[in-house]
Amino acid sequence: MNGTVTGPPRRPLPLRSLLVQSAWSRRRDRRGFWFIAPFLLFFVVLMLAPLGYAIYTSLYTTRIIGGTVFTGAANYTQTLESGQFWSGVIRVIIFAAIQIPVMLAIAFFFATIFDLGVARYGTLFRTIFFIPFAVPAVVGAVMWSFLLEPQFGPFVHLANSLGFHGTDYFSSGLILPTIIVIVIWEWTGYNMVILYTALRSVPRDVIEAAILDDTPLWKIILKVKLPMVRPAIVLLVFINTIGALQLFTEPLILYYFEPQAISTNFTPTIYIYNTAIAGGQYNLAAAAAVILGVVIVIISVSSLFARRRRSEV
Amino acid sequence: MSATTVVRPGPEPGPSVPPPPPPRRRRGQEDGSIPIEYYGLRRGTVTAVTTLCVLFAIFTLVPIAWLVINSTKTQANIFESFGFWFASPFVFGKNFALLFQNVDGYGVYFRWFGNTVLYAVVGGGGATALAALAGYGFARFRFRGSRALFYLVIAALLVPITAITLPLYLSYAKVHLINSIWGMLLPSMVSPVGVYLMRVFVEVSVPRELIDAARIDGAGELRIFFRLALPLMVPGLMTVLLLNVVTVWNNYFLPLIIFSQNQLYPLTVGLGLWSQRAQNSGNAEIFPLIVLGGLVTVVPLIVLFLILQRYWRSGLLLGSIAN
Repeated sequence: MNGTVTGPPRRPLPLRSLLVQSAWSRRRDRRGFWFIAPFLLFFVVLMLAPLGYAIYTSLYTTRIIGGTVFTGAANYTQTLESGQFWSGVIRVIIFAAIQIPVMLAIAFFFATIFDLGVARYGTLFRTIFFIPFAVPAVVGAVMWSFLLEPQFGPFVHLANSLGFHGTDYFSSGLILPTIIVIVIWEWTGYNMVILYTALRSVPRDVIEAAILDDTPLWKIILKVKLPMVRPAIVLLVFINTIGALQLFTEPLILYYFEPQAISTNFTPTIYIYNTAIAGGQYNLAAAAAVILGVVIVIISVSSLFARRRRSEV
Repeated sequence: MSATTVVRPGPEPGPSVPPPPPPRRRRGQEDGSIPIEYYGLRRGTVTAVTTLCVLFAIFTLVPIAWLVINSTKTQANIFESFGFWFASPFVFGKNFALLFQNVDGYGVYFRWFGNTVLYAVVGGGGATALAALAGYGFARFRFRGSRALFYLVIAALLVPITAITLPLYLSYAKVHLINSIWGMLLPSMVSPVGVYLMRVFVEVSVPRELIDAARIDGAGELRIFFRLALPLMVPGLMTVLLLNVVTVWNNYFLPLIIFSQNQLYPLTVGLGLWSQRAQNSGNAEIFPLIVLGGLVTVVPLIVLFLILQRYWRSGLLLGSIAN
């Protein structure tokens, strides 16, 4: 980067005026930094510095006798060898691998329906589906805990009346699907709205041309529209993956209602939280947080590249 | 573009036949949509698809309906009566009054409500202001290192909240920010997503030529930003503001870690605390408070979204075009 203007293609200018313009704009473009500076100050102090401090902290160990001493990679080795930490990591990876595709499929289905205008009262449904986005994860998890509670929850009665007696949504086999349903409930509407707005911006003449070619509807949707909204889908996969790997609030609230259902290492973030707050082992927790960060980078960036086609994003 | 530019694929289009009249618009059909008849869909499809929408709407609304209904019940009735209908006694008023009291010394709900509003308005508003400035800076200026800075901001999305929040907590202990509202407000003002979205909105909605014209007229950069760019950024601004307010309103991890005094809690942490205590204190009527408290937490945001949906829809639209 050498400071020259490299924006979108412009009209070709005569060489002399190009040089004049670039010198002029370089001088004033430097002023742009002052628009970014306030954010940058907050960003450095409240995000980069804490991250640096987390890495620094993770290299030390605080002992009751002897105080804080530099122990290098010891906290990392301990975390990497901890089955507790990794079982949480594997759980959130399984969670993400199921929850995200299911949610995006539902969201894309309804976004397509609303884009085509096939459903009656589409606007009303779109608004309804978006409502859970305004519900805090804490409240969402509290509501679902009541609904699924093994003794009195209405959904247990429902399962009983359908012939599934003794259904326990908080049992070890069903707790992950339960959380998947809760998170799908919370986030489908948001993803649907983003996909819907992306679909709306597909040029109309492209679709008209496909119709004139007698392309069947499913082909228009999957072969014409889907590729055109791929950037939005990639973005959503990326954001949802980052969120899913940090799963915390929903299982923690379920733990308050059914303590035996959620272990102290259920997800990596819960493991880090318990290590730091309940266990007081801040150095170890910092190392685990850094490792989780690396896991997130590897998985979400590879998901980005896996779905990326040339010339996109 | 009128609907008649599309020739219906079918057996009838003879050269002398006038184009078919555009079909009547159905409710729910968007302006500018291609009428569904052209896709060759049968009538039954509409019914089937609408049914699926109804089913998903039920799934979406069931928990909220449960919350509304059970906020009117006593503790015993929450557990014993049918979950999806009202039961007597109807105690919504009594439950509501209890939200103003300090139940079992765990904290006062409406105090938490006030805190949440404060954090969401100041934190979300501050985040939006910083993001608007930075997004404009990134979109309309190119200086040495600006691209690298932008990618650094985007990369910050990958950093887990624990890796930010734990060290913040440790630092707060040193600079006396534990149990200070600033400990909550300041980190809430950093929104990399907001910066990303504002940059996209500026790219789409503030023409470069307009800024250059104002510069040639001798306007200062700040004046250009406030008088020219900002009014054009309003839909994007509203979207980012809503997203930021919701993010702070719903934030659980940061306040959970940094606050130990319950008069500073936001609603999320307060309700979490009540849920936790509800399991080991059977005596207090705390379940109705959790239910009604949850409802009161949810209603303001839903109302806000419904009122402002015109803004965030167009804002999201811009965002999805340019990503």
